[in-house]
Amino acid sequence: MLKANSLTKNFNSNIALNSVSLSVSQGEIYCLLGANGAGKTTLINHFLGFLKPTSGEVLVNGKCVTSNPLDTKRDIAYIPENVMLYGVLTGLENLEYFSALATGRKKPRDVLRKLLADVGLPAEAAERRVATYSKGMRQKVGITIAMAKNAKALLLDEPTSGLDPKAANEFSRLLKTASENGVAVFTTTHDLFHAKETGNRIGIMRSGSLLAEFNSDDVSHADMESIYLKNMRD
Amino acid sequence: MTWLIVTREVREFYRDGRFLFGAGLVAVLFITAFLVGYEQRQNVFSEREVAQQLDYDDWINQPERHPHDAAHQGMHVFKPIPPLSFVDPGITNYVGSTQWLKAHRQTEVKFRPAQDATGLQRFGSLTPAWVIQVLGPLLIIVLGFNSFSGEREQGTLRQLISLGVPSWKLLRGKALALFLGAFLLIAPLLLFSVWAVSGDDLAGSRHDTLIRSGFLVLGYLVYLGIFIFVTLAVSALTATSRISLIVLLAFWIIGTTLAPRALVDVARMVYPIPNQAEFNTQLNQELQREYAEAWQEHFGTDKRWGSDVPLSRWGEALRVDDYAGYDAIDRHFGALWDRYEDQRRLQEFFGLLFPMLSIRSYSMAMSATDFTHHRDFATSAEDHRRLIQDLISSNLTQHADGHGERHFDYKVGKEFWSKVPRFEYAAPAAFFALQGSLNSLGVLLASLLISIAFAFWSSRNLI
Ligand SMILES: Nc1ncnc2c1ncn2[C@@H]1O[C@H](COP(=O)(O)OP(=O)(O)OP(=O)(O)O)[C@@H](O)[C@H]1O
Ligand SMILES: [Mg+2]
Repeated sequence: MLKANSLTKNFNSNIALNSVSLSVSQGEIYCLLGANGAGKTTLINHFLGFLKPTSGEVLVNGKCVTSNPLDTKRDIAYIPENVMLYGVLTGLENLEYFSALATGRKKPRDVLRKLLADVGLPAEAAERRVATYSKGMRQKVGITIAMAKNAKALLLDEPTSGLDPKAANEFSRLLKTASENGVAVFTTTHDLFHAKETGNRIGIMRSGSLLAEFNSDDVSHADMESIYLKNMRD
Repeated sequence: MTWLIVTREVREFYRDGRFLFGAGLVAVLFITAFLVGYEQRQNVFSEREVAQQLDYDDWINQPERHPHDAAHQGMHVFKPIPPLSFVDPGITNYVGSTQWLKAHRQTEVKFRPAQDATGLQRFGSLTPAWVIQVLGPLLIIVLGFNSFSGEREQGTLRQLISLGVPSWKLLRGKALALFLGAFLLIAPLLLFSVWAVSGDDLAGSRHDTLIRSGFLVLGYLVYLGIFIFVTLAVSALTATSRISLIVLLAFWIIGTTLAPRALVDVARMVYPIPNQAEFNTQLNQELQREYAEAWQEHFGTDKRWGSDVPLSRWGEALRVDDYAGYDAIDRHFGALWDRYEDQRRLQEFFGLLFPMLSIRSYSMAMSATDFTHHRDFATSAEDHRRLIQDLISSNLTQHADGHGERHFDYKVGKEFWSKVPRFEYAAPAAFFALQGSLNSLGVLLASLLISIAFAFWSSRNLI
């Protein structure tokens, strides 16, 4: 579903991605770990077509992102690290707008209210202007927007940043449900525990290179921490 | 989907207060200008009607006298006020509204102010045309400068693009939202058109007024459309909304205040016109030459009104003299007026860079207040003067020439005075205005197409 083939990206002399190859298939949850500046966001931006590869290619549902920028976006939903919304609109109106643009159909407000309640946004907050929201509240609206798109793949860049533990937990459940429905999930995170809990596959990145990949079932929590630290060290 | 984008944009304009403040202010100014202009027009309108009537009464009721004496005293004709002049007074306040029809010469009053016609400096006068031409673009800029750049700063643009919304759809939605703002501004003009057909004081020209206001609205929509797409293009190209605002305001200031003035001077340099003294000297020289030639040919002398020609031929001489003058007058005024039109056309072409230069001209033409319309009036008035002259000279030839040396004892009265018809002038129809505006309208449409292309090109890659 999501595929990167020897993807390399240089920003001037700075190598942000160094021949990264990975693939996420339907129903799989792929968690990418890596220190700050490792290149995780850069990789996601390639799947979204916001950046052009220096060499190599990225494919969504078998289609090259560079040559099908619109088609490939229809198959994915994206949650950035900081969800950005229209401050003068309410959370509900933001959801209504973005999800209608994504699907081409306007959903009834009641359905949208229910979706917001599902991610734990208080009903009162849904009718308030987003300018008054906390980061976590915006993140919840962002999650709802992505989920409402019913896309084939989810691209998540530290989606739980700013979420309280309960909300993060509920979000993990949402991801699992999605993957059970055949959605391919690609998420970056700094939370080893969360990665182990939700992910099927885990990748570790450093300085633009993908250093290790393994199935989460194959390792224990303790193993994971030591693998991660080993890869960060040398 | 487009409608969705439009409503969100409008909701944002409305909620952040820009719409109420900007559009409200502009609309209030517009309506004020509209009412003030209309009030003035009504006043002047009735004054002129009365004056025209009084002047003709004076002519009819003048005492018995020699017809040529009457011609020296002459008759005044008053230019009718075009119904749309309160939307755009154009050169109305710069050209004379009356013309003195008298013996021998086409009067000069009428073209002295016309010299300023192309150098029109209307800035500062609150007219509906000024509000749309100058404040209209400002309103568009205030509403639209952050269309893309603001969303880019906010991060919502990435969010939108990541949904797979094609950038051209965003552009189309945002353009439509801005058109709603533009439309609000022009709505009073539309209302007027509707009212014009139902009103009663514009009888006769109602149909024409409706067509003219229709074209006026069309022209202004094109004009504001140019600014809408330029604003969106700039907003798409600039990294921050602050930069978009600066770029757009610079364009606005140059385009609506500096360029219109500068281009007047450029046009004067490219197509110089004689000043009034020079013009009169040249015309006089030419007239003297023509007169001398005609007198030589007919009477064997180049001395006008001398003892070489007996008084029994003065009626005939008057006619010869008049006709000799007509040609020279036509040539000279024609050349001067053509120059004005050249100047105008040159300015209109610069409308490709600064749309105000072409809309200014177009708007005046559609309001029947531009120089071309004035020229039409002046020509009619001159024709009327010639009609009077011809009536007089043929009357003198028939009757006074027989009196021989007692030529000046010949007198006519009311019966002759009433042979001179009232001056009835109907302003030319909308088609005339359209013909004269092909250039400005063409430039406006071309600018619109260019700005649309520019906007689509600029927004092809929004991230
Ligand atoms: N637009 C850009 N221009 C130049 N360099 C960039 C650009 N975007 C990212 N980089 C560089 O690429 C490298 C990878 O950055 P990236 O944002 O992908 O890291 P990350 O793994 O997402 O980090 P974090 O965990 O902090 O989010 C960094 O060295 C960063 O400085
Ligand atoms: Mg990142």
